[in-house]
Amino acid sequence: MRRLAGVRNREMRGVAAALALVAAAALAAAIARERVEREGTVTDRPAQAARDGYESSSACRACHPSEYASWHASFHRTMTQIASPETVAASFDNVSVSDVVGEFMRLEIRGQQLWAEFDDPDRVGAGVGVGVSAGAGVGPRVARIRRRVVMTTGSHNQQIYWYATGNSRVLGQLPAIWLTADRRWIPRRAAVMRPPGPPHAETGAWNGICVACHTTDGRPRLDAPFGSRPIADQIADTTSAEFGIACEACHGPGGDHARANARPLRRYWLHFTGRADPTIVRPDRLDPRRSSQVCGQCHSFWEFADAASERRANSFGLPYRPGDDLTATRLVVQPTVNLESAAMKALLADDPAFVRDTFWSDGMVRATGREYNGLIDSPCFRKATDPKRTLSCFSCHTMHEDAGDARPLEEWRDDQLAATARDNSACLQCHDRGTERAAPQERAAPQHVADVDVARAFQARDPSTHTHHRADSSGSVCYNCHMPYTTYGLLKTIRSHQISSPSVKETLETGRMNACNLCHVDQTLAWTAEAINKWYGRPAPPLAPDDESVAASLVTLLKGDAGQRAIVAQSLGWAPAQRASGTSWMAPYLALLLDDPYDAVRYIALRSLITLPGFETFQFDFVAPPQTRATLRVRALQTWRDARASSSRRVDAALLFNPDGTFNAPTVDRLMRERNTRRVVYRE
Amino acid sequence: MQTNYAQRHLRFGWWSLLLFATLGLTLETLHGLKVRAYLDVSNETRRLMWTLAHAHGTLLGLVHVAFGLTLKSAALVPSALNVRAISSALIAASVLLPGGFFLGGIAFYGGDPGLGVLLVPFGAMSLIAAVFMIARAT
Repeated sequence: MRRLAGVRNREMRGVAAALALVAAAALAAAIARERVEREGTVTDRPAQAARDGYESSSACRACHPSEYASWHASFHRTMTQIASPETVAASFDNVSVSDVVGEFMRLEIRGQQLWAEFDDPDRVGAGVGVGVSAGAGVGPRVARIRRRVVMTTGSHNQQIYWYATGNSRVLGQLPAIWLTADRRWIPRRAAVMRPPGPPHAETGAWNGICVACHTTDGRPRLDAPFGSRPIADQIADTTSAEFGIACEACHGPGGDHARANARPLRRYWLHFTGRADPTIVRPDRLDPRRSSQVCGQCHSFWEFADAASERRANSFGLPYRPGDDLTATRLVVQPTVNLESAAMKALLADDPAFVRDTFWSDGMVRATGREYNGLIDSPCFRKATDPKRTLSCFSCHTMHEDAGDARPLEEWRDDQLAATARDNSACLQCHDRGTERAAPQERAAPQHVADVDVARAFQARDPSTHTHHRADSSGSVCYNCHMPYTTYGLLKTIRSHQISSPSVKETLETGRMNACNLCHVDQTLAWTAEAINKWYGRPAPPLAPDDESVAASLVTLLKGDAGQRAIVAQSLGWAPAQRASGTSWMAPYLALLLDDPYDAVRYIALRSLITLPGFETFQFDFVAPPQTRATLRVRALQTWRDARASSSRRVDAALLFNPDGTFNAPTVDRLMRERNTRRVVYRE
Repeated sequence: MQTNYAQRHLRFGWWSLLLFATLGLTLETLHGLKVRAYLDVSNETRRLMWTLAHAHGTLLGLVHVAFGLTLKSAALVPSALNVRAISSALIAASVLLPGGFFLGGIAFYGGDPGLGVLLVPFGAMSLIAAVFMIARAT
């Protein structure tokens, strides 16, 4: 009996062991198969293939759950996604989109696949005249194509959709994009700062350009660098380690790190000693200049040092890895420093307006997404000698939400500001200490005189002695004066990331609105010059008659180029500016911009207009045909006139009103005739 | 002697169930009150460790009850039964397994639990040894 029982027990153990082995093998096969099925069989779009030490974010999750979660919630992750009903922000469920040039774009879902039928973008441009706007049936008929939508770009502000062209892994872009905040489609051209004109195809742009920064370890792998041959004649085998800007984009390839830390003893040794792990890069532990370069690898305008570098990058991806010296492999564009370099000359030969369109004339960057160019020209970075007091991206931003930050991830991800950088604390990290660390000869330098001034003011808990604004007002917020909204991109302005102080002289020389007049939009440059002279002792420069008598915002709005007009248009909708300057006079000027030739300017003007009392429900389609826009502009003016009797309206001469409340039409007309009508094309 | 051990494990099992059911209730309360020190993503390791402590403690309580009842039913082969060793191993497992998980969740390092988790493998070995001895005696 005991023997029988023993035999039975041995059989049972054998069966259990066999079952466990089968289960383990099945699990391993399922894990391996999932990856192969997803990416290994894909041939019509770029594929994810981790190589050369890259692992992908899934390898980081187990050990770094908190960091993984904050990255997963970020817009960096969703910058590039495989298109599916779950990842697209717009509905594809039997939708017809009229906001395209030419025929409707039709969208549909087939199972998990997204499909679109539309006019072939590579043939539309040649047949459609300038000024043709959205709407069904406008323009000559061009070839219709039906393609599978396979990839998306963006999610925060806009979402762009890419289709498989059928030519290797080359992608084309749908003719309309989804505006996330407005929940509507707009023609692709309307989403960028470009003059009116025919639509332009973006076929191949993802493979040749986007892949570098919108993925991790992107490799174009075109058979010749992008742009060197017509894209229809090219073949692409584009790959990246992972779509989106994932862990390894900032920390470098993680394969060695993951393998080394599979050993628990090593992990705990690192935990207890607090030592840096040499197998991975921690950007926040790098020198401020190197750490900022990690962000600067994408958040900058740069150029290949030479044609050979471009060819290598085409095949193997960009050589920069976090922790490297970015300038060793790229030329970061600084018009004040390297305008005469061979690489810049080559760039300008290809695009003569590049510097003029994307930098102010003093070298300050004016396009969004290139904050590193602003940082490296900031005095807090350029003149800093102490690494602990050197401005870096991480002085204000954090890629992983601080443990003590009470904001939900959905709120934090909007600007990824550190919990300590949401107010004046950001600047007071350094500027509350005056010059005690500066060398004696440095203490006399203007920036350190200002430092003492700021330090005294904030140590006394009375910033108004420095700001000359109420301590609790927006005028006492460091950002508002030293990082004004003078950078444009993605249909909005953002703060300049080149730290500066308000200067009338710079406004005159560059055309860039100063911080004072971006808030005090009802005041002249002369008023600002006098205030700066009185408070900070800077002499007032000589001014033209208009700068003496007309509000600076209006001079720029009427005379400025499209980029300048966009900046003023957004400023008129900015709550602090509205509080400081009143709103009763703004509507006619914003209405004027509703008929601006640039789609982007019209869009921003409308967004500001509907913040004004009486315009909350004003309906206007900024991509409607010109005649429709003109009608609606008249309606906006009528709405303003109708409200005139019921409110105390300002009739200041500086705002170009006559004492009876009518427009100073001759001056408005004259300033508009003097408008800078040059073509403005932002590289966004 | 078996009766004494049976009583001992029944008592240990039920008290253990009470303790770890109470821990479960506490964890549910932390969920209900949305306590960040437990629920934040940065505390995922703590949540996992304490959940494991609760689960292992509760299940081991049931094992004690089952062992006590098994001893009472006298369904084991006396010659193969080292009751003292089994009892010690089971009690050690009941202390070390949930205790290790619980301590591992108090202080932790990212995805790595605190050093208390080192108790867990010893607890697991005790449990396996106890179960093996019980299995042999059936």
